[in-house]
Amino acid sequence: MPMTRLPPEIRPVLENGTPGVMVTCSADGKPNTTVISQVYYVDETHAALSFQFFSKTIRNVRENPRAFVCVFDIVGNSHWALQLAFERSETEGPVFDAMDMQIEAIASMTGMSGIFKLRAADIYRVLSVEKVQHPG
Amino acid sequence: MIPGKLIRFLEHANLAFVGSRDRDLVPFGHRVCGWRVGADQRTMTILLPDEFLTTLLESLQQNGELAVTVEEFPSHETYQFKGRYLHHRGIQDDDVEVVDRARRRFVKSLRPMYTDAPEHVLNAFVSPPSLAVEFEVLEIYLQTPGPGAGTRLIPPTER
Repeated sequence: MPMTRLPPEIRPVLENGTPGVMVTCSADGKPNTTVISQVYYVDETHAALSFQFFSKTIRNVRENPRAFVCVFDIVGNSHWALQLAFERSETEGPVFDAMDMQIEAIASMTGMSGIFKLRAADIYRVLSVEKVQHPG
Repeated sequence: MIPGKLIRFLEHANLAFVGSRDRDLVPFGHRVCGWRVGADQRTMTILLPDEFLTTLLESLQQNGELAVTVEEFPSHETYQFKGRYLHHRGIQDDDVEVVDRARRRFVKSLRPMYTDAPEHVLNAFVSPPSLAVEFEVLEIYLQTPGPGAGTRLIPPTER
């Protein structure tokens, strides 16, 4: 059943270091799918995504603010599907600083130091969130 | 046409996801548990678990737009295949074999991160397929993290 607030049980999944996936759509109707390294919990109704490169994803959400994000709980054999709406971009402050630190940590763990660099923390409002338990 | 180098990549990649969108341009994503390239090298078939398939098919039949990202973990070599829905069908025996191979690659890639996880737990994460969707590949983009991410490979970008 979809919820409109991020429940406490999603936080460990957001912080498990497993890459997620994001889908956006341009104003002319072309979907774009990309792997994302981090979804940051801001509060019950907001999540932040990292803006690291001037990518199609960044252009799309500025044309069409809707986004879909999927985060994976591999040991729990489930995933969470989030519908989001882009609200604003932050280049300083506590959310930016915390994401910057996490990205550094992820980059060094995955051998991508020097490639991941946070330009901004993009803040999204949570429109819906749903846990999908896989069979088996 | 999908180049031979990318066909070889698809044979050892271990993670894929498909994005679609509805008539209101709301994006949606779906797990992909297996993939194969058509004999003509112009089409791909993705194999999908039984999740939100009605939503996916409604969108594909309404507008035909889809984008599939395929990654090789842990190298992070990643490509996005954008295209147009052609048709869908039920699962055949050889589709199950494709998913079994993708599952083995996925579990092997994850094992160093999940040293204590039982084999059946990691195996279960790649669900059995319920639907095959064939699409025509129109564009391919490099998505490996780094300065070249987002570069269109097929058709080549004019310089």
